[in-house]
Amino acid sequence: MGRLLDVSRVTAGYGSITVLRDISIGLDAGECVGLFGPNGHGKTTLLQTISGLLKPTGGTISFDGADITGARPRDIVNAGLVQSPQGNTLFGEMHVLETLELASISKRARHGKAQNLRRVFELFPRLDERRTQKAKTLSGGERQMLSIGCALMCAPRLLMLDEPTLGLSPRLKKELAAAVGNIAKSGVPLVIVEQDVEFLLSLTQRLYMIEHGEVVREIDGDNAPDHDAIMQLYFGEAAH
Amino acid sequence: MIDTLIATIVSGLVLGSLYAMMASGLSVVWTTLGVFNFAHGALMMIGAFVAWTVSEAVGLGLLVGVASGTLVAALIGVLIERLLVRPYYGNRNMLLITVMTTLAAMIILEKGAQMIWGARLKQLPRLVDGEISIFSATISAHEAILVVLAPLILLSIWRFNVRTNTGRSLRAVGQNQRSAALIGIDVPVAFAIAFGLSAALAGLTGALLGSIRFITPSMGAEPLVKAMIVVIFGGLGSLGATAGAAYVIGLIEALLILWLGLYWTPFVLFLMMIVVLIFRPNGIFGGRQ
Repeated sequence: MGRLLDVSRVTAGYGSITVLRDISIGLDAGECVGLFGPNGHGKTTLLQTISGLLKPTGGTISFDGADITGARPRDIVNAGLVQSPQGNTLFGEMHVLETLELASISKRARHGKAQNLRRVFELFPRLDERRTQKAKTLSGGERQMLSIGCALMCAPRLLMLDEPTLGLSPRLKKELAAAVGNIAKSGVPLVIVEQDVEFLLSLTQRLYMIEHGEVVREIDGDNAPDHDAIMQLYFGEAAH
Repeated sequence: MIDTLIATIVSGLVLGSLYAMMASGLSVVWTTLGVFNFAHGALMMIGAFVAWTVSEAVGLGLLVGVASGTLVAALIGVLIERLLVRPYYGNRNMLLITVMTTLAAMIILEKGAQMIWGARLKQLPRLVDGEISIFSATISAHEAILVVLAPLILLSIWRFNVRTNTGRSLRAVGQNQRSAALIGIDVPVAFAIAFGLSAALAGLTGALLGSIRFITPSMGAEPLVKAMIVVIFGGLGSLGATAGAAYVIGLIEALLILWLGLYWTPFVLFLMMIVVLIFRPNGIFGGRQ
């Protein structure tokens, strides 16, 4: 039906190791959702499966009504479903500007290139200052900005961010969180993976808690738990 | 004495141009796919034979011949990628497996050429007749064209890599496949383009070389080995370093032939290669990692 993204009973993994078991998530247009849960329980794998880097062994994924189960990553980006991956995973030998320009290679993104570039530089003035610097000489925070900038250059209709503030100093974390908030405000629906649940709650309408490759809990505005309850979700009784 | 030296340097320049065109093709495939294509020399040979068939046997003229040689080599290059490289992508032992599969491609192409074109030596006419004197040294005008063409080709590959979206996407795929896929680059298409471009370069080189040397099924073996020495000297990966190394090796080879003769030259070249590998594993021009 009319959901923007609908992941339905997807199973996926690496070789004989199953990571995602029968997982279902979804979001509607204009909505932002967060994914959280312990490390190594399938959040990144889920995003990679949605992006087409991993082929699901079961279930279906549809985006804006079209079935994209097992589609090629390029076609998924072309459809407007874009991911900014975790960590420092860009092209070390390429300049910032070159990288951003290249990111608008898809058919959808090409004609909005100049406008998107301006928007990325507005959002991350640091990238503007470092236009001709090679990606490998950037700091961790700047690489993260470049990664998100690249995703924005793809003209996303839905943007998935995989731990955008991972490993950053509190100051940088704030800066990036503000930028992500700006993106959300501009009307791009987001799927955000984060450990920081309060950050997620401030940005998103709904959260999925993922454990052992399954959604173990769905939280929305009405049943938002307080801080202690979340700590308990993470650490069990030890939180007390 | 000076005359001999100039003649040697000029012949070194011709060799360097040949090696630069061969090695840059190897480098394109290596930087995009991380594969060392052992069939590169055989693709060069195919370029020469097809150029001969089209221009001599069919009689369409040399320029059409060179163009068809380049094109057929490119198509076979794409085919090799599709059939012998892509199936092993993502395999942990991919580098080793593709050494074997591209070696197999080389053998198939060489034996196939022998079946199709026979063992009789063939040669192409020259693009232009006449000779050109550089100081006191004389080379054929055809060789002079090769010397001028090689830097132009290197320059256009460099521009392609830096300026065009396609060239940039090849570099991006070489540096990080997953991220490249996530910004909408079609990774398999990038592989095919890299292989096709590299094979086209090999085919063009072969078609041009067919006027200077005899065309035989094994004519690609020696230039491939030299191109290997070049990329080891230059450090695989950077086009500029590869080009520089090609000319250095060409000159060294010409000088060695002058001083030691044809017999000992390969021996010394390989000895140098081993020494370089021991002391500068990333190549003389390659950065340290």
